[in-house]
Amino acid sequence: MLIVSFAFRNFNRARTRTRITVAAMAFACAIMIFYASLLEGWLAGMEKNAVGMDLGEFQVHARGYRADPDLYKRIAGEEEVLAQLDRAGFVAAPRLYASGLAAAGNASSGIELRGVDLLREPLVTDIHQHVWQGQWLAEDDPAGVVVGRKLARILGLKLGDEVVVVAQAADGSMANELFRVRGILKSVSEGVDRGGFFLAAAAFRRLMLVPQGVQQIVVKRRQASEDLTRATGRLARLLPCYEVRNWRQLQPVLARLFEMSDVSLVIMLLITYAAVGILTLNALLMSVFERIPEFGVMKALGFSPWGLFAMIVVESMLQVTVAVFLALAAGLPLSFYFAIHPIDFSSFVQSSSTIAGVALDAKWYCVVTVNSVVLPVIFLYLVAGLAILYPALKAAMLKPLAAIYHR
Amino acid sequence: MNRAVSLARIFLALLVLCAGLFLQTGTALSAQSSDEQEARAILLEIDDLWRATSSQGTVRMQVKTANYTRSMRMEMWSKGKDKSLVRIISPLKEKDTASLKTGNTMYTYLSKTDRTIRLTSSMMMSSWMGSHFTNDDLVKESRLAEDYEPRISFKGKREGREIIEFTLLPHPDAAVVWGRIVMTVTAQGHLPLLATYYDEDNVLARTIYFSEVTNMGGRLLPALLKVVPTDKPGEYTELVYESLRFDLELPESLFSLLELRRR
Repeated sequence: MLIVSFAFRNFNRARTRTRITVAAMAFACAIMIFYASLLEGWLAGMEKNAVGMDLGEFQVHARGYRADPDLYKRIAGEEEVLAQLDRAGFVAAPRLYASGLAAAGNASSGIELRGVDLLREPLVTDIHQHVWQGQWLAEDDPAGVVVGRKLARILGLKLGDEVVVVAQAADGSMANELFRVRGILKSVSEGVDRGGFFLAAAAFRRLMLVPQGVQQIVVKRRQASEDLTRATGRLARLLPCYEVRNWRQLQPVLARLFEMSDVSLVIMLLITYAAVGILTLNALLMSVFERIPEFGVMKALGFSPWGLFAMIVVESMLQVTVAVFLALAAGLPLSFYFAIHPIDFSSFVQSSSTIAGVALDAKWYCVVTVNSVVLPVIFLYLVAGLAILYPALKAAMLKPLAAIYHR
Repeated sequence: MNRAVSLARIFLALLVLCAGLFLQTGTALSAQSSDEQEARAILLEIDDLWRATSSQGTVRMQVKTANYTRSMRMEMWSKGKDKSLVRIISPLKEKDTASLKTGNTMYTYLSKTDRTIRLTSSMMMSSWMGSHFTNDDLVKESRLAEDYEPRISFKGKREGREIIEFTLLPHPDAAVVWGRIVMTVTAQGHLPLLATYYDEDNVLARTIYFSEVTNMGGRLLPALLKVVPTDKPGEYTELVYESLRFDLELPESLFSLLELRRR
């Protein structure tokens, strides 16, 4: 208790120096909270586009489909599989895929036809809310299709325009059909933007002559807190005859990018805080040297070396705590502001910009997470703690007599 | 789909039977060995055998894959090297679907939707009409002379028949998919019997068998072509010429977009 009260007293002694040290720490910490929130926002945006719009959390395929996709490698009896998944605590949606050609006017382009279950797809992805122009697919509009943004540009398609689709049907014949553009998607991923051609599953089956089976079942955890790897294992055991992959396995580049982002945050923290650490070290060294005779007297009066050490540590931790409060007071409102008002890069970033095939949002939101706040704070304590080790040990090991006469 | 790109092109290519156009480049022969000269001379002969100012015929195609078997009949017309038209006669579902090639432009008329689409060069890589031909290799076929060097690799008796075997190796700078093509023709009459296609790793990719030599339009020609892919056992595409006529008076208007849509 005595140590704490001494520490409080000392905190108030060299006010200017303390204020400058605290201000530097607070500034660095606030900036890091903001930076970490921005990074979290960027990652959340990427994950939303990749997982929430396109991949889904898990995908189930017939064996061999992923290595060599074709119309015939289907999951038969999908109703049973869907029911099984439902019972095991997953939500799932079937999808049908085929490649083909879309033509409008004089332009034509290769497409990936995607037949979606209109009732189930919204359970696993939010793509139905990601429509840039027009509307998402509807049961009462079988000729209505939703296309990727770049595809619409390549074919010169506007809402309501007619588009011809040609593909090889399951019986080898030339499937062709007229559709009408009902919606154009926002940027999702390179693949969807350039070749995404969404239509209702029923329309797909009619066009491609696929009465039964699906190529893919997209699965989502009902409890988002369940570990991804554990859930993947559970799914694989549930469906041993099929190939089960989670989004990290499906998009390893993206998964790596996410892992690297955590590392990059730590590196940024270390670099920024190195400067703060040196400043803290300097300030504390000065305060120790100034007070050598005082420490000598304290020791002569019976203050133990560890008592002195603890006093200096508490003193600096007090400064860090004040700095943390200031940083939270500045960094949090800043991050929350940009969580509501995103930084708009649309004039710098092209709408087609992608990283690892995933579309980059031109609007950059902050996302304040426990991680984005706690990590900069913990690191500040750690760096300051390291910086005071030397001055505190120096004070602890002073010889009382020499210290009293120190000039 | 894009496999329809070369409906016309394939027939043009098949008409000239792979070799027909070898010599159109008119490469200087000065530095060539006598073997190479002979190879080119025979190819020229074959070229003359198949070349016509115009042609018209009907073809039956049978495709067998692991997933489907399908049969089609088509009528085709060609004029010169640049113009051709192919129209499906049966099955009923695809009747009147047609492809037109004029110069470097390809159009496909889709009878079901009553639309004509123009196909671009980027659509050459997929299967043509669900068969084992790809649009790309059909188009490439007519350019073999530009990309490959012919050489006689065998001459003599094989399976009781006098034959000549050519090996076509790509020029070092040629952008081609095949690493080697081996063609066998009869020594007498120089009629094609067999063509084997090897990929870049020198692994056999597919074989084309020519048989049923028949008199068509006053010429002796193989009426049956069978394409067998090596990596898909049991699968094949068979083309049978039912009739073929040469050097007809075909109006220019036949190869127009308007004619393409005629039902």
